Amino acid sequence: MINQELLKHFEELEAGRILGDLDADELQQWESLSKDPSCTVDLSLELTAAAIEAELSHDQETELSDSLMRQLQEDISKFTVADDHAELNDADNIVKLSAWKRAVTTPQIPWAIAALFAILFVANSLTQDGGPNTDQPIPAIALNPSPEEARDAILSNTKNLVQLDFGGTDSYNKMTGKVVWSDELQEGYMTLSNLPVNDPSKKQYQLWIVDPTRDTKPVDGGVFDIPEGQSTAVIAINNPLVITNPKAFVITMEQPGGVVVSKQQDVVAIAKAS
Amino acid sequence: MEHCIKKYSGLVWTIAKRYVRDHSSAEDVVQETFVELWKSAKRYDPAIATESTFIGMLARRRAIDYARKESRRPQLDPLPDAELLTQLTTEPPSVAYSAGEDVREVIKQLPEDTQQIFFFHFEQGMTHPEIADKTGLPLGTIKTRLRRGLIEARNKLQHLGAAEPSTSYMS
Repeated sequence: MINQELLKHFEELEAGRILGDLDADELQQWESLSKDPSCTVDLSLELTAAAIEAELSHDQETELSDSLMRQLQEDISKFTVADDHAELNDADNIVKLSAWKRAVTTPQIPWAIAALFAILFVANSLTQDGGPNTDQPIPAIALNPSPEEARDAILSNTKNLVQLDFGGTDSYNKMTGKVVWSDELQEGYMTLSNLPVNDPSKKQYQLWIVDPTRDTKPVDGGVFDIPEGQSTAVIAINNPLVITNPKAFVITMEQPGGVVVSKQQDVVAIAKAS
Repeated sequence: MEHCIKKYSGLVWTIAKRYVRDHSSAEDVVQETFVELWKSAKRYDPAIATESTFIGMLARRRAIDYARKESRRPQLDPLPDAELLTQLTTEPPSVAYSAGEDVREVIKQLPEDTQQIFFFHFEQGMTHPEIADKTGLPLGTIKTRLRRGLIEARNKLQHLGAAEPSTSYMS
């Protein structure tokens, strides 16, 4: 049983995490304590920090550069999934979704988002047409689906998927894998076999997505681990930027947390469109 | 969407520049924040936070993640991406975020030295070492006062909102 002093210590660590000032030792403590069911974390500290920052910063006016504005406009136009289903509240220009709080309870983010989208799509098509709209992608995913289920759902229900095979480089030539990606859903999964287990405190795998339509540089697709005892792992792609025409997916081995620009010193595998 | 960019680009830019000093990287943070916003917009609930707090939270996460990556501190993992937003349980945290006056009122109730550190950190965008230089206080004291000040501010906001205990999102 964890005592009050430790709970207080954990709360301070959580505040440090939100303020971005944990050192390595503190981060280890946070990670260790956060696994204890007594040490629950909530949104309140982060929202408080954001509220203070927004309140104290909001008077500072800034003009974004023309190039950035153009890029944002482009992103908006590409992001059809969000646009199609957003429900704007005219009174306060707030986007509302009453169902999400009931729907999303899982700690596994990508799957939770997938499930949420599934509910939204189904609900939207039912309310608009009285029946499912077959023109829209409906990933028929159960709540809290496993990565495998989420992958299988988009394989079954989504059109125009990009599907490529991974090939391992010299040191990883035993690995095999596939990647499936949907531009429409902005969602994708990798199924990877025979990749060596990594120690996340020393190295992590990082995915890069090559999309020539948006940039000459590969886009970060998120870091991931291959845990012990898994000969095949299904990994959700975590793309912070909109991807519209991926031509290749590249896995590298990087420092924990990943890097902004990979030196490609340890390229693990490549999946390339022919 | 365009209205949203116009309305909040200043806030997002200010936060981005606060954590990421390089201009081009700050632009990346702004872009990533708005993309994340398009993705997360449907999960926004005004019962939990005001628009500016919600967007500010997304911007802070992106900016802090970016700053960590840029600093190449391998021991620091990125903040969980949008994790908190998707892990909420059925009850929102009951903190009174609705009014900026509440936030300012609560800051005023903090000890004076904490207020000063908040001003340097949140309004001026100063780093911990910069605040330490400016105030002559040890770095550890700055960290501790910021953290404890944040917890205290949260508690006071909860009190203002006649708060129930805030909701856990980690099972």
